[in-house]
Amino acid sequence: MIDSLIKKLPDTVNWFDILSTEGTSTSISFKNNRLHSLNEKQNSGSGIRINVDNRTGFSYTNDSSNMDGIIERALAMASYGDREGFLLPGPAPAAFEPFDDKISLFDTANEIEKGSSVIAAILARYPRANIDVSMGASQGLTRIVNSSGFNATYRNSFYSLSVSITVIQDDGTKIDVWDSISSLSPRDCDEIPGRLLERIRLAENTRSAESGKIPVILTPRAFSRLLGIVASGLDARSVYRGISPFGGKTGEKLFNEGFTLTDDPTITDSPYSYPFDDEGVPGLRKDLIRSGIIENFVTDLKHAEKLGLIPGGNASRGYASLPSPSFSSIIIGGGTASMESMLRNMGRGLLVEQFIGLGQSNTLTGDFSGNLDLAYLVENGEITGRVKDCMLADNIFSLLGGELVLSSEREQTGSVLSPFAFFPAVNYTR
Amino acid sequence: MKRDPQDLLQTGRDALSGLSCEYAEIRISCGSGTSISLSGDDIDSFSTGESIGGSVRVLKDGAWGFVSFNDFSEIKRFARRAMELALQIAGSEKSSVAPYGPVRRRFSTGAGKNINDISIDEKFQLIRSYNNILKSSPDIQTTRAIYRDTVSQYILLNTEGSEIIYDRSYCGVSLSSIARSGSVIQPFHNSISGYGGYEIVEDREEIAEEVVRTAVDLLKAEAAPGGTCAVIVDPKLAGVFIHEAFGHLSEADFIHENEEMRRVMVLGRQFGPEDLNVYDDGSLAHLPGYTPFDDEGVLPEKTALISRGMLTGRLHSRETAARMNEKPTGNGRAINVMRQPIVRMTNTYIDKGPYSKEDIFSAVDRGIYAIDVIGGQTNLEMFTFTSGFGFEVKNGKRGKMYRDIQLSGNVFQTLKNIKMIGSDLQMFGGLGGCGKGGQSPLPVSFGGPHMLIEQVLIGGKQ
Repeated sequence: MIDSLIKKLPDTVNWFDILSTEGTSTSISFKNNRLHSLNEKQNSGSGIRINVDNRTGFSYTNDSSNMDGIIERALAMASYGDREGFLLPGPAPAAFEPFDDKISLFDTANEIEKGSSVIAAILARYPRANIDVSMGASQGLTRIVNSSGFNATYRNSFYSLSVSITVIQDDGTKIDVWDSISSLSPRDCDEIPGRLLERIRLAENTRSAESGKIPVILTPRAFSRLLGIVASGLDARSVYRGISPFGGKTGEKLFNEGFTLTDDPTITDSPYSYPFDDEGVPGLRKDLIRSGIIENFVTDLKHAEKLGLIPGGNASRGYASLPSPSFSSIIIGGGTASMESMLRNMGRGLLVEQFIGLGQSNTLTGDFSGNLDLAYLVENGEITGRVKDCMLADNIFSLLGGELVLSSEREQTGSVLSPFAFFPAVNYTR
Repeated sequence: MKRDPQDLLQTGRDALSGLSCEYAEIRISCGSGTSISLSGDDIDSFSTGESIGGSVRVLKDGAWGFVSFNDFSEIKRFARRAMELALQIAGSEKSSVAPYGPVRRRFSTGAGKNINDISIDEKFQLIRSYNNILKSSPDIQTTRAIYRDTVSQYILLNTEGSEIIYDRSYCGVSLSSIARSGSVIQPFHNSISGYGGYEIVEDREEIAEEVVRTAVDLLKAEAAPGGTCAVIVDPKLAGVFIHEAFGHLSEADFIHENEEMRRVMVLGRQFGPEDLNVYDDGSLAHLPGYTPFDDEGVLPEKTALISRGMLTGRLHSRETAARMNEKPTGNGRAINVMRQPIVRMTNTYIDKGPYSKEDIFSAVDRGIYAIDVIGGQTNLEMFTFTSGFGFEVKNGKRGKMYRDIQLSGNVFQTLKNIKMIGSDLQMFGGLGGCGKGGQSPLPVSFGGPHMLIEQVLIGGKQ
């Protein structure tokens, strides 16, 4: 199909690339403590980028019975495109695949058993809890063909399991907790119920703290949410637009020297890795912030050309859209302190697990503000209960530029591997 | 490619006819779309494409099997597969659906300028003219102007004999300016969308002008002081508040199997002041939440969620309606035919109350006037949303400008704290929409009048 499409391209074409994806997935969902539905999905599609007279046009379709018109549409768009002079990558094989054969071991009966036992374990402790569990397995193919001779395909597989629990206490107070895992093939989830039950148990008592500056430890999950604000400034597109706070600051030390943020699409066994990005550029491991110094930005070919950057494999797109810069796996360097000692040394402060409404504010300047969905008061180094109906509002850039302690323990949340982070004074409002 | 809807209906009929189950439905969509995104002086992206998709959902022995696809040559096989999936999990606890219909109708988003008759050049020139306004001040660092349309034919048929064809067209623009002065960066944004013709996006220069003006003004605005205070919310913020803070609580899937929530959401319970009336109404044509039928083939209702401050209704899919022994309300919605319908809002609003805007201002000695909205989120007990900007209010008069203001609080307490409801109801909704259960963005609209709310928590330094 793709080959016949290429034959139809007119001679005026300067360069082209085609991205095709196809995949199938199966998912199981438990809603409100019971098995609810079993789903299957089949999906495919192709998008073509055509450069004529240094201007690029784009079109897509997912109707494989009718590819007619896609080239004409892309050509028609090209006359509106910006001037782009970058070169597409030449031939290269897929060095590895984010794929594990064991994905085919995904077994509905087995997964249902897993889900039922998670629910049973939680109900044994909280009989009135409402629990949703879902698990899914997908596999697919990504193929990229371009006019520089690149023609490679890789397989991907993805397994995920997520659990969310709502417990409403006698006084009407609601406790929501959730957790998820993702991997290349089915995995056990034995650790999840215990972890979630502990979070609920610690939240049963409500405590309060006075408004003002307060020491805060963010869990890896909360810290990675907040780092989304930093990450958006490390995107070459925002640098190009002049709205990144880090634009023109490569080599400058903006943050605490304990802080290192790395983008790594090459980690083996990670479903967030890939041999080449969605423009065919090989994925490279790169420090974006090293010891507090701005080192690099994630970019696609277009912004690499505009900013004079070396593309490191961070273009992302589906078949129906043009590429844009995106992160693969994000790794935050750990420190030397144990989480245990951080809690002990904090004395009195907050341990923050979940925010609501983070990142809706003007995050370009690093300002953030979020209601504490799940956070605990720490007194004498011990968690004594939950604080609620309160907010943290501060600036993440200045927090990261000041005193910061990172734990040696790190946890994976989605595509981010992060330690616990301690800040001595964060603005707290209730 | 244009497909004959009658052929697709016949294929659907054939696929359904072999199934022996409590309920099954097939949804199919074929469409095309255009998307243009400009940023500063650059064309960010400009694309057109075609999309097809479909799904079969089967309820067999109380269990759901669901298959989605973009290969129309095998719809029959997918229908059988959905049945097999349901059978694999049947026998555990039971789901059921409230019966409805049959509905045999053809709908269309109707009149106006047919989007397919507008050339891509015309669309490009329109969004470029808005982008030129967005960057018209020297304080503007960059802009983002997006035009998007989709024109599609949607077919739904089910085992109750419903056969619906819907010719729908949707378009909108999203306009942002980002102002910068040294290290101070201030974005501002507005968006409009709806179901109907190209006229929805034409003659919208005023929106672009207001966006650029506000972004520039915000460069000089201060952060609002943190703490608790009286807040006058504008109609847009009132709308987001009722959508986020209350609307989601009215979605019966949060309630139907949760005894504690059922106790909280007891019909007849007093939630707010006498003047508070809240509706969800999918029948309001042209608005982004317009649903001539929902994704389960149920016709829309004007559902009174709160009447005279009292809880009087909730939003249902067929499944939640069956479980709670209530009637479906036309709120089973999915972001596209490849996803399962879940309980969602449509056009949700606080109805007008007795007070003029002037009455409301003169009742405030000290407080904040919060305008527009950047975003909002709730966990069904607490909410946080961020107002685009606002002003200090002193002795009933507008004072200095504040930049983005984070408002937060307990939903139930805040509803009780509504003291005055204005008479200037307005509806809003742009490109983008609401997210739930991994399905985002679903087009919705929201609205309300000016309101005075006491004791709102404002995030920030004190």
